[in-house]
Amino acid sequence: ILSFRAVESQCEGQCAPVDSLWRRYSEFELLRNYLSVTYPHIVVPPLPEKRADFVWHKLSADNMDPDFVERRRIGLENFLLRVASHPVLCQDKIFYSFLTQEGGWKEMVNETGFQLKADSRLKALNATFRVKNPDKRFTELKHYSDELQSVISHLLRVRARVADRLYGVYKVHGNYGRVFSEWSAIEKEMGDGLQSAGHHMDVYAASIDDILEEEEHYADQLKEYLFYAEALRAVCRKHELMQYDLEMAAQDLTSKKQQCEELATGTVRTFSLKGMTSKLFGQETPEQREAKIKVLEEQIQEGEEQLKSKNLEGRDFVKSAWADIERFKEQKNHDLKEALISYAVMQISMCKKGIQVWTNAKECFSKM
Amino acid sequence: SAGAPRPLPSSGPKSLREMPHPLATSSSEEMGPALTPSPDLLLPRSIADKDLSLPNGTPVDTSSPASSSSLLNRLQLDDDLDGETRDLFVTVDDPKKHVCTMETYITYRVTTKTTRAEFDLPEYSVRRRYQDFDWLRNKLEESQPTHLIPPLPEKFVVKGVVDRFSEEFVETRRKALDKFLKRITDHPVLSFNEHFNVFLTAKDLNAYKKQGMALLSKMGESVKYVTGGYKLRSRPLEFAAIGEYLDVFSLKLGTIDRIAQRIIKEQLEYLVELREYGPVYSTWGGLEVELSEPLEGVSACIGNCCTALEELSEDMTEDFLPVLREYILYSESMKNVLKKRDQVQAEYEAKLEAVAVKKEDRPKVPTDVEKCQDRVECFNADLKADMERWQNNKRQDFRQLLMGMADKNIQYYEKCLTAWESIIPLLQDKPETK
Repeated sequence: ILSFRAVESQCEGQCAPVDSLWRRYSEFELLRNYLSVTYPHIVVPPLPEKRADFVWHKLSADNMDPDFVERRRIGLENFLLRVASHPVLCQDKIFYSFLTQEGGWKEMVNETGFQLKADSRLKALNATFRVKNPDKRFTELKHYSDELQSVISHLLRVRARVADRLYGVYKVHGNYGRVFSEWSAIEKEMGDGLQSAGHHMDVYAASIDDILEEEEHYADQLKEYLFYAEALRAVCRKHELMQYDLEMAAQDLTSKKQQCEELATGTVRTFSLKGMTSKLFGQETPEQREAKIKVLEEQIQEGEEQLKSKNLEGRDFVKSAWADIERFKEQKNHDLKEALISYAVMQISMCKKGIQVWTNAKECFSKM
Repeated sequence: SAGAPRPLPSSGPKSLREMPHPLATSSSEEMGPALTPSPDLLLPRSIADKDLSLPNGTPVDTSSPASSSSLLNRLQLDDDLDGETRDLFVTVDDPKKHVCTMETYITYRVTTKTTRAEFDLPEYSVRRRYQDFDWLRNKLEESQPTHLIPPLPEKFVVKGVVDRFSEEFVETRRKALDKFLKRITDHPVLSFNEHFNVFLTAKDLNAYKKQGMALLSKMGESVKYVTGGYKLRSRPLEFAAIGEYLDVFSLKLGTIDRIAQRIIKEQLEYLVELREYGPVYSTWGGLEVELSEPLEGVSACIGNCCTALEELSEDMTEDFLPVLREYILYSESMKNVLKKRDQVQAEYEAKLEAVAVKKEDRPKVPTDVEKCQDRVECFNADLKADMERWQNNKRQDFRQLLMGMADKNIQYYEKCLTAWESIIPLLQDKPETK
């Protein structure tokens, strides 16, 4: 609870001038990168979007727009809450000092040397690594995360267009307000009814602003899972790379063992340039061969140990990754259900407002 | 009927009825001088003494209740407001398509039920097409030029843009034609018109039409343009007010028409987006396991809202816009009647002036000028009575139209509300409880 409060005050401090907000955002990014590298098997919560995306016409794509800034602030707060409620991540010391330590935090993070651990290959998102024995579950999961990203992007794009059009429908009704007022001026009995109905049309037209503002929260909830899908994919990628490295290491070990055997028995089973050159330039001396064998045997032993630890690492990774993935799945299902419910509630509220306004207008018309 | 001589309400010192007229000035005393710019106005005479004739020269039979007498007009106005004394009912329904070698057209069934003596039978059922209605309207304009004739829906339809034989178009037209005949039926003078009677009863309307044409050619061109060429100095205050009112009224209706069209357009564009939006939830549902049903539910819900919106737009197009346009057409034809009235008054004033200029010492004003004065007073009385009736009907029509518009929107939101409320339990459902 104490750290929760610290989070709140920290966030409030960030609502100051633009410069400090931008710096702060980069510190959030630094924190997230650190967590991603340090806990590769965890689906790390995503940050809110840096730039306004999936906008509809009323909402400016301006990053300085106060509504956007506010929504991003809420997004950042949400990010910290996600990390704080994660069974593994919440215990991280760097995270703790992010919340509690004002100065020198950046240096602290860099001192961990996490950047060295970061695999540069992960940056090449679409580069394929030919894995001979892929883990089916991870392949399926990666496919799922790709599909999820695609469908949520599509949903957000269309939703923005829907919002745009709905805005138009409501706003045009405002014109009724003006013309009813002008018309009422030349009428005797009908005048009052028209005038007051016109007022309700104005109310109707104005109501769309709040309605769509609320809907942005729903869009933000979807966006969070759009970005979460990316985090999920990252875990799959890391596993893929791990598997690849493992296979490469195994392959390397096998070839070294083979070389060793060949040197020991003097048979050349496979074609090699060495074999060719030795044929051309004469075979090595027994001493040379011995030396080579010894080197290889050392390498083989190292390799076997490495392979063993890599295998263990791999199994650990799969075990803990899968545990976190299950946790994530449950969280996702729960959160998205809640989001859909709140969306339905918003629609219900909008319908009820519509009924109210038109009922009021109808009553005014009945008095004409 | 024509008992003791009574002054015509338009120029007498006291009006017959105290019923407030929306456009009337506060006292009839003010009305007197305002109506008669000419200083040498003669005292009015009773209806029975008058040798009334219509502006086109056709003599009028004042003994029958169908005469253009405003007194009787007003009395009958009272009667018609009381639904119990209604004795004529007309309906337009049952559109049918006729395919002939020369053309294809639609006919409508016109059913009449009546107890009036002017009709030989108590019931009639005839089939009429649009051009028959058009003929009737022209005939009414010709024979009752001092009255406001209701409008017909647009005659010409741009081929290719609108399907003349589509159900929606035919139904919209049928409603307008029904309204047209009902308005005539409700009118105390127009409903007794001979052409209207024939329209409702004749088996072969075309034969009658030809007969009428022959008669017309016999009478020559004199019928229509008798009062042409006179210019009115100034329109009397109350008719100027009517003219101004109609100008602003038709302007505002035009604006409302444009707004309504724009709303429909925006709604249809919104619909296009919604139709893409709903299915995306379905696609997503296909990816998920636990969320599959909730997402499908949302998709179906949006689909239901689409259907509701489509219905709303259709209703507005078919029921709301046509009535607006009808009233714009009505206003235009009414302005023309006002102009005709101006013509009649101008003729009277010119003739009156001509007599004054001659400076002949005559004890009695020539009958020619008297006839003109009678025509003016008749026209004014008819027009005022019709305006009053028109204002009242207009108020009722718009009340109904706008309440209908509000209703349709309420129904739309209620349909959407039902859809969204019904999926809440589906969304909240936990898989364990199934």
